[in-house]
Amino acid sequence: MKGDKKYIFLFLLPAAIMMTTFVYYPFFKSFYLSFFRTTGFFDKKYVGLDNYERLFSDGLLGAATLHTLEIMLYVIIFQVGLALVLAVMVDSIRWGKTFFRTVFFFPIVISGAAISLLFVLIYNFQFGLLNGALESLGFDKVLWLSENSALKSVAIPTVWHYVGFYFILFLTAMSKIPSDFYEAAKLEGITGIKKTLYLTIPLILSDIKVVLTLAITGTLKVFDFVWILTRGQNQTEVLGTYMYKKALIDLNFGYGSTIAVYIVAFGVILSIVTNRLLKKEEITY
Amino acid sequence: MLLKGSKSLMMLALVMVLILSACSGTKDTPAAADKPGETKAEPPKDEPVTLRVFSTFGGTDAGRAAFQKVLDHFTAKHPNVTIDNDVMSANDNGFRTKVNTDMNSGNEPDLLFYFVGADAEGFVKAGKVIPMNELLDADAEWKNGFKPDALKLVQQKDGNIYAIPLTGFYEGLFVNKAIFEKHQLELPTDWARLKTAVKTLASKGITPISAPFDQSHYLIENSILSAAGPEGHHKGLLNGIDPNWGKGLAGLKELYDLGAFPKDAATIDLNMAMNYYSEGLSAMIIEGSWAINSMSEQVRNTTTVLPFPAISGGVGSGKDIIGGFSTGFYMAKKTYEDTKKKDAAVALLKHLTSPESIKIIAESNGGTPAANVEVTGLPQVALDGFKMAADAPTINAPIDTQVSQETFTTIRENIQPVLKGSKTPEQALEEAKKVEENNKK
Repeated sequence: MKGDKKYIFLFLLPAAIMMTTFVYYPFFKSFYLSFFRTTGFFDKKYVGLDNYERLFSDGLLGAATLHTLEIMLYVIIFQVGLALVLAVMVDSIRWGKTFFRTVFFFPIVISGAAISLLFVLIYNFQFGLLNGALESLGFDKVLWLSENSALKSVAIPTVWHYVGFYFILFLTAMSKIPSDFYEAAKLEGITGIKKTLYLTIPLILSDIKVVLTLAITGTLKVFDFVWILTRGQNQTEVLGTYMYKKALIDLNFGYGSTIAVYIVAFGVILSIVTNRLLKKEEITY
Repeated sequence: MLLKGSKSLMMLALVMVLILSACSGTKDTPAAADKPGETKAEPPKDEPVTLRVFSTFGGTDAGRAAFQKVLDHFTAKHPNVTIDNDVMSANDNGFRTKVNTDMNSGNEPDLLFYFVGADAEGFVKAGKVIPMNELLDADAEWKNGFKPDALKLVQQKDGNIYAIPLTGFYEGLFVNKAIFEKHQLELPTDWARLKTAVKTLASKGITPISAPFDQSHYLIENSILSAAGPEGHHKGLLNGIDPNWGKGLAGLKELYDLGAFPKDAATIDLNMAMNYYSEGLSAMIIEGSWAINSMSEQVRNTTTVLPFPAISGGVGSGKDIIGGFSTGFYMAKKTYEDTKKKDAAVALLKHLTSPESIKIIAESNGGTPAANVEVTGLPQVALDGFKMAADAPTINAPIDTQVSQETFTTIRENIQPVLKGSKTPEQALEEAKKVEENNKK
């Protein structure tokens, strides 16, 4: 037993070192920096809680939080929802499973920046794909990234990009359900939508919980789509882009770090809330 | 079998160790020869040196190929020198972060091409780069190659020259003459003509002025200069807000209300704005001299450049322009003190900033050369630009070199609200002033 412990320690060490270097150290450094006013890299001054005071009176940050929450809503409804629907459908077909699995998973492989650039060309007002199609059909051009619609337009590629990931997670979870459950259901005459609602979904609830937590915390990291499509203009600023602007464009690392701390706290609270809301006993087959 | 496997593994490891030690051996030998007492002795000519040169001559920069050519000239003459041409595009702010991180973490490039002024103050004050005054004074031929003005403009606040300039720039209102002729419009040489042109073009479905709201650097700099004049423009925000700054932004709003800017101005970036101009979709763009080379040839041939006209009610002359020499090559102190690298680095610096090299770069990026050279083969618009700069009573450094980055961002962020009328120019500037005060506290 004692020998085991040594090996456990030994094998966990590399991961622990990596985590410490790339996650915990930067986090604590950010926390430390959040008490300073910095101008670039060479000049910093201790300002106590000034940055936190600013945090709570910053209208732009409030707006960015709301925009992030709005994207989160879209992600929960459409990303997770769509993934679930697709998984149920693919799970119930007899042939072509592998084909659909590949097709739906594919967007994950493309980088977010590439997809964003693609959508820049799709949404562009002057010569975008959508407006080109509208014009050739005799309609007026539409400003897809207007103040009212920009956030929704940005949410579309954001949602689409990761549908495949959750789809695979759901599909894997469904394949773990023992087939005798379904056989029993069949004997009882439960088929179709009823089977999905009363059997499949309750049985993968713990996976749905994991996916929801992943999706919610993942939304806090949205950056590339917003940055490339709208640069945070027209009511699309999210927490990630706002932090980047403050830290790396304004070179105010102090306030940027404060926002980073806020994002972490916000993320922790959100995932605790999600876990509370979805609390239910685990199912074992 | 197992024994055999582990044996061959050990052999492999041994070979690796030998190779590694052999590699480091070749590197170490010359260093060992450099005994402290003999540093002044000529290092062997063929000693291999690698120099990292960081610049923004990368990505879509017009000077990219020319810069590589200049570097190649050097390595052809000095085969022992390997140059690591480390580039990043200047289109976004990423390179500032890269430079600052490098300078702050002991990873200074040997030669650095970067801004002078507020941007460089951090690493200059921290002593990461060397003042060039002595080097310049020691080599009269090199020093006399520069226009005295150019060397003066790259001085830091402390009066020293840390960066050796290549080319300068100017900003102005680039106008597609073909579109103006087609619609029988006069060139926008004053505010009334500009307004007429904007009104007419907008009614014909042509975007008058291509400009992004987020990256509205040039809009802000030029409108404030043309409303506040050179003196007001230099005031900054710390000692109260010059009312003419507000007039500059109000002028932009006046143009916006006439339909001057693209419908999607809020979400496009500078590249896309240039794209619209270059494709002939818009008639004017406020840009810098570097933009000439990103225009399509057809549009470039019908383009001229004018100073942004004086906004009525302001005190600007409509002739003063934004421009100057705001970039140059720095040399890291670490490199200068490294006896192995010093001579090669100094030679490379002198090569890169020689009149011949400056000429090659100026021909490619349309900038004003820092040396007394005749730049040939330039399109008419570049010549118009030089003339505009020569005729300008004053050439002014842009506002964002004078206020902190965060202050300037605050003004940029407020361009859309000001143009749409949800904030007044005064409110926007008041906000910026607060940020500036906090930054300079």
